[in-house]
Amino acid sequence: MNNLTRMTRLEIIVPARDAPAIRELISSAGATGYTSVTGVSGIGHHGQHSGSLLFNEYDTLTMLITVMPEGKAGELIDAVRELLNASSGVMFVAETYVSRPEYFQ
Amino acid sequence: MSLILRAHVAAAAHDIVPSWPLDSFIAVNPLAGAESRPFGSGADPDVAITRSTADFVTDFHRGRIPVEALERALVARIPTLAQTVPLGEKTLPAATIAALDMIEWPDSEAGTVPAEDTALDRSLCIWIAAYLNPDPLWAMPHRDQGFYAAWRRLAAGDLALPRPSRRRIADAPEDADAALQKAVSAVAPSELHNYLRAQLAPLPGWVAHIKWRAEKVGDIDLTNYLAVRLTLGTTLESNLVTPVTAVPAPVDTTWERAGRIAVSVTRGAAGPEVVAAVARVLAEHPPAEHLLTWQAAYEEVYRTELVGMLRSIAEPTERPDVQVVLCIDPRSEGLRRHLERYRGVETLGFAGFFGVPIRFSRYAAQGAMNALPALLTPRHRVTEHPLDTRAAARTVAAARRRGAFGHALRTADAATLSPFAFAETAGWFSGALTALRTLAPSTHARLERALSSRPGDLPARLTTDGSFTLDERVSMAATAMRVMGLTRPAPLVVLTGHGSHSTNNLYQSALDCGACGGNPGGVNARAAAELFNDPEVRAALAGNGLRIPDDTVFVAAEHDTVRDTVTVLDRHSIPQSHLKQVREFEELQAEAGTRLVTERARTLPGARSRRAVERVRQRADDWAEVYPELGLAGNAAMIIGPRELTRGVDLSRRVFLHSYRTELDPDGSALETIMTAPLIVAQWINHQYYFSTLNPGTLGAGTKTIHNAVGTLGVLAGHRGDLRRGLPWQSVGFGSELLHEPMRLTVVIEAALDRIGQIISANQVLRNLLDNEWITLTARDNIHHPWHRYTRYGWTPTITLTARQNQETPV
Repeated sequence: MNNLTRMTRLEIIVPARDAPAIRELISSAGATGYTSVTGVSGIGHHGQHSGSLLFNEYDTLTMLITVMPEGKAGELIDAVRELLNASSGVMFVAETYVSRPEYFQ
Repeated sequence: MSLILRAHVAAAAHDIVPSWPLDSFIAVNPLAGAESRPFGSGADPDVAITRSTADFVTDFHRGRIPVEALERALVARIPTLAQTVPLGEKTLPAATIAALDMIEWPDSEAGTVPAEDTALDRSLCIWIAAYLNPDPLWAMPHRDQGFYAAWRRLAAGDLALPRPSRRRIADAPEDADAALQKAVSAVAPSELHNYLRAQLAPLPGWVAHIKWRAEKVGDIDLTNYLAVRLTLGTTLESNLVTPVTAVPAPVDTTWERAGRIAVSVTRGAAGPEVVAAVARVLAEHPPAEHLLTWQAAYEEVYRTELVGMLRSIAEPTERPDVQVVLCIDPRSEGLRRHLERYRGVETLGFAGFFGVPIRFSRYAAQGAMNALPALLTPRHRVTEHPLDTRAAARTVAAARRRGAFGHALRTADAATLSPFAFAETAGWFSGALTALRTLAPSTHARLERALSSRPGDLPARLTTDGSFTLDERVSMAATAMRVMGLTRPAPLVVLTGHGSHSTNNLYQSALDCGACGGNPGGVNARAAAELFNDPEVRAALAGNGLRIPDDTVFVAAEHDTVRDTVTVLDRHSIPQSHLKQVREFEELQAEAGTRLVTERARTLPGARSRRAVERVRQRADDWAEVYPELGLAGNAAMIIGPRELTRGVDLSRRVFLHSYRTELDPDGSALETIMTAPLIVAQWINHQYYFSTLNPGTLGAGTKTIHNAVGTLGVLAGHRGDLRRGLPWQSVGFGSELLHEPMRLTVVIEAALDRIGQIISANQVLRNLLDNEWITLTARDNIHHPWHRYTRYGWTPTITLTARQNQETPV
């Protein structure tokens, strides 16, 4: 597809207080980076989440996005799934395409 | 590295609440990991969730818990107990029968046999303390390689270990992940989660601190901790976990209890149908629920009395002469009450960081402090610019000389041989100084202050305008005005942070401002005053409909909660036109502070005396004083609403007071900010006091008198063992008596019930706390509407007792 390289994209939405553990797993899995979106709002299994709060970053939701080669993503997916067994949160896994694959190796 | 194993470790540690170091003590709910579950459910058997049945029954007999309150609590918890039950010729409310069961035949207490300290735990504590101590006499070798690697290299040569153990440690994998993988290789995957949880349980203080440190510092993590624990445990061949043994209480059957009650209410003529009717009631309220019902009744009495004291008067229209904005901290309530006895004085309550979250470093100082709530990440650095740079240079040079001299003394004191020579030459001087410090602590403190002027004492302005853009400053000022309900600024507005000044007190940070990251709040007051006095900010605020009159000046101050004195800061920035008003404020705050100290002396241990004011204030300088002040002991409620609700009412320094006016908050965003930040901080503090009181040996830090500090990390009881969590006994008790009444936070709000409900629905943290009964909420729309209690099923009207208002006469 337009000389793009296929990769795996993980989007993980967890309470901000659980985000450090997810970030640690992402780093340990060998991902070269991640994007963190704080104050995520929406409605989910546990009800409504209002989004960013003025003086409280601890009790909001955080979305962490990372992109990895397909071969490296499997172990991270299993690990995040295990961690989500102990806490609330969701993980979306999708195919994605990048123009500069060396950034993600 | 096994990623899945790291995930198992993180999952096993999920409910562990990180523990902050002592120098930035943050009050936390030690059971915060359980807030998504109903209060009291699934707690460890060795954790006391409430006081004992015997304590509650004593409260009942001395009138602290009337039977009506007990019956109301029963109906609130189990609505079917509102029904009446025919018992032969009589008919009784089901709640009365259930209450009889609790009062007349209280349950025996369950108990636990605490786990014993194992050789593994003792050894592990020594290694962790050696690795993490930030200021050791001898730094741990190989520390840069990480905890497990450094431990493995050193422990292999530790002669305190048997030779076979040393050999096994030397043969252990070099890497923490590999060592942990090897240690758990025999554990079935389905058992791994519980196994790791059990391994994280024995040293909860160190484990909680390591979790904090892994997130904030990164030089140790729980994988390294477990790798050391399991490898060492295997080599010592000791029991890796010594479980706490639960000793169940003997419980009578429902039928036996029903038989006794039936005989009691029918005076001996109870037929089987009466016993069966009573048994049906008792089955709805089994013994496992009794303690929680007692606790609910205990709190219901306080809540009903508190709500009955609140006033229903309209907002005054007259512009005050002075407005004093203080932190929501319950200690401010006393000062506010005494200040408001003067005509023309109005007070407001706001989170003590005044909406200005900064990381602050004093001029030329090493290090910085996070002057913001622990709920936020510091993003803006602020420092000081001295007004007189030449004087600043001289003071810095003098401070450096003093620092070098002090360092030389400490080095001489810590070396192997030099202490002997040091004692010979300087011992007489140290001895005299120690005698002065012990016998005349105030004189010693004055001498010390006179000899050690610091760069931070010089007149200076903060770099707030360089750290925040104009838009950010305007936004912070507008938010602060809306959130605290500042509708008509007085000519003089005193923003008053608070700090606690004591000597030789490892827990001083716990007495400072919780909204300022466990630091004194004066710097936040200074930053906020600069914001509000900035002409550009005022012009932009006026454009947003928030007008500050031209004759209004904001002044920063700090309330010392040990001495109850208010010190005006940055005097150089006060315009000539307002100096007279500031001096008048200083005079009246001095009188108000003296009255408050006299009031506090009535409950402060050992402070009743004819010279109570002087004695209480001397405690700040007394290095042997374990009760410099009572901090937030007694905290029980938070009131969010206009001051008219509470003005003139003696709340006994037990209530967090946050000002709020619905008319300044048309979209409810200010109320949401209060309910999701100051309320959460108040709840953390409340639960810290609650569980430290009920569990002084495990969730509290025990008595101060045997504490030893591990650098600035925390304290040990004695010279070894687990890092202590929570508050020391001297914060919550005296002798065997409690100074703090363990009650869950009662929140009272005056705002539209619909709006409050929407905010709760939109925020999981509030749903967890309220629906699971970690806190309670009582609210009313405005002064024309009755109070309602929040329940997970909706709002229900509350019972209001006759008001008991201790209104004071203005002077």
